[in-house]
Amino acid sequence: MDLLWQTAINAMYAASYMALIAVGLVMIFGVMGVINFAHGELYMAGAYCVVFLYAQEKFPFLLSVAGGLIFVGIVGLLMERALFRPLRKNPLGGLIASIGFLLILQTLAVFGFGRRMGHVPPSTHGKIEIFGAILTYQRLFVIVVAILLLAALWTFLKRSKFGWALRACAQDAEAASLQGISMNQTARIAMFIGAALAGVAGALTAPLVSPTPYIGHSIIVTAFIIIIVGGIGSLEGAVIAAVLYAFVHTFVTTFFDGVIANIVGLALMLAVLVVRPTGLFGAKERA
Amino acid sequence: MMRKTLDRKLSRRKFLGTTAASGAALAATGTGLSRVSFAAADTIKIGFLAPLTGPVSAWGKPGLDGCLIWADWVNAKGGVKIGGKSHKIEFVGYDNEYDAGKARTGATKLIKEDGVKFIMMLGGDTWPGVEKIAAREGMLFSTLLPSDLTPDTKTLVAPCEVHPIYNVTGVEWLAENKKNLKTAAICAQDDALGKPSVATYLAAFEAAGIKMVDAPLFFDPATTDFAPVMTKLLAKKPDILCLDTCYADYVHPLCEQAFQQGYKGQIISCTADFYQKIVEKTSKDFMEGFVFQFPDFDDPALNAKEVNFVNPNEFYAEYAKRFGAKEWSAVSWEYASIMDLWADAAAKAGSAEPGPVLKAMKAGGTGKHAFGDAKWWGKELFGIDNALVGNWPVVVIEGGKAKIKAFKSIPAWWDKHSKLMIKHMTALGQMWNQR
Repeated sequence: MDLLWQTAINAMYAASYMALIAVGLVMIFGVMGVINFAHGELYMAGAYCVVFLYAQEKFPFLLSVAGGLIFVGIVGLLMERALFRPLRKNPLGGLIASIGFLLILQTLAVFGFGRRMGHVPPSTHGKIEIFGAILTYQRLFVIVVAILLLAALWTFLKRSKFGWALRACAQDAEAASLQGISMNQTARIAMFIGAALAGVAGALTAPLVSPTPYIGHSIIVTAFIIIIVGGIGSLEGAVIAAVLYAFVHTFVTTFFDGVIANIVGLALMLAVLVVRPTGLFGAKERA
Repeated sequence: MMRKTLDRKLSRRKFLGTTAASGAALAATGTGLSRVSFAAADTIKIGFLAPLTGPVSAWGKPGLDGCLIWADWVNAKGGVKIGGKSHKIEFVGYDNEYDAGKARTGATKLIKEDGVKFIMMLGGDTWPGVEKIAAREGMLFSTLLPSDLTPDTKTLVAPCEVHPIYNVTGVEWLAENKKNLKTAAICAQDDALGKPSVATYLAAFEAAGIKMVDAPLFFDPATTDFAPVMTKLLAKKPDILCLDTCYADYVHPLCEQAFQQGYKGQIISCTADFYQKIVEKTSKDFMEGFVFQFPDFDDPALNAKEVNFVNPNEFYAEYAKRFGAKEWSAVSWEYASIMDLWADAAAKAGSAEPGPVLKAMKAGGTGKHAFGDAKWWGKELFGIDNALVGNWPVVVIEGGKAKIKAFKSIPAWWDKHSKLMIKHMTALGQMWNQR
């Protein structure tokens, strides 16, 4: 029973940060139509913000996480302005530009922090016991912040004018433009939010992983599986698919092994594509 | 701004003149350099073909750093004497990023363009990319992973690290000194480094009468969240947690997870690179008694007369001065120790050419290994006697610092338990004729 609880807690943690990353990726794709291959590197950039601010410069952890969110959000704005806006009518161009930017971010990380893993001491050693399973405060913090941020994003999208504008652009950019919604403005907001979510995921998990300049590779693969399962363009789908994928992957890793878990994760994606090619929530409920 | 500065301080003619003069000076410097190189035609180039970036770089880059110290020391004394003539040593590095394709490109470049006389590699997943080139060119290669050896790899030697066979010494020491430990669980990344090491640990545990609580847990090398891996490992409450030959990027989060999930038992691992950082992430108490196989070279035990590595404590001090003590890794000294062996063999052979050096290196079937005199061995396990095997240290973390507790003999263990090793290697498909 302890094992089941511990596995469930592990899965909740994994679902939390994966949901942040996947929702960010969906925001960017939904509004701008760009498949951002550099999204894993935005996660990495968030992690390195914490390496720099918290581990090296000794700023408080929370402040460092906020720094990661803002910094990576600004990187997102720069990407929108310098890469994606000039290539707006060329979706393949945006994709290729993001691959180039991915390599630039990796190289900058190597120059700034070296090739080896960054060392981030935990902000707390505290932990609680739930039915015999252990949940550290560090992981609990990731879960709580992810829930709060996703709830705030949902409220923003459903209740604010900017949110309506984003959803309108995601549904039909041309029609939204005819209604006087600025494409540049919505693209900026989407890119900031999308990048900031990846950045905050990296910042929050930095003490729990070993950040390296190349950590984005494994993150982006998982994120793509999640958004394909959830339905490309669906925020709700991304969250639900993140939870589904995290639970399946974590339980299979624990009760079988990690290699089988990866195969099952890919099989899950294939099964969803066969049964429902648009993904679980694709097309029907776009952002 | 720049244009203004140009207008104010430099006329176009002056600018062009200065540029031309600088160019000429640079060209002169260039000519000077090539003249120096030409004058130093006696310089022997050694290739260093290992991962210098990426997740496996901890087992490449620190080795190159160690080699640079070795070269500086040897060159300061006039170089290596071969055939009555002194030769300076120059290392040419190539980053293979632990990728077989890049290793192939690197080997070709080092042999054809740089004219190296010997190439040192980490081996493992990168060796298949180089194997045919080595056979075709007759180039002498070294690997840290003797599992690369087969009867066909005639110019490949494993003269330093008999990975993973030396891992038996840590388990043997544990069984002798902590008799209360009866069960173990093991995990490893699913690759060419993890699997033979798992087979070795399984053999060593069986020889020591320690039972495995579960089948070995293999995880994807792309894993970033180790909580599920650790949850599974600890599920059956083992006395010993074995981290196999996991890369540093995995050992750290695995230890952290074990700490966070409340594990208080014994940990054994092949390596514990940058272990001070693990201590910081967990605690001194948690890491107390952690057993692994790679000493810090400031350890006084390395000054024993049996140890052949030259000035180990001074080497460590120089390494710490140049790169920082916390950057010391399992391989910081290993490639340098291979160079000791190579230089000795080249001096004996009177030539730096690969063939004569290999012959001199293996003459008499024995050699001077870093940790003592050793013998060329491996026929039963690798199909060729190209691994240099002798004693290996068992290292334990005490009070947050690594200390050598014993030097144990690998051949002595092999003489008693070789059948077990072959059984487990065969079961995991790791014998030379299965790979």
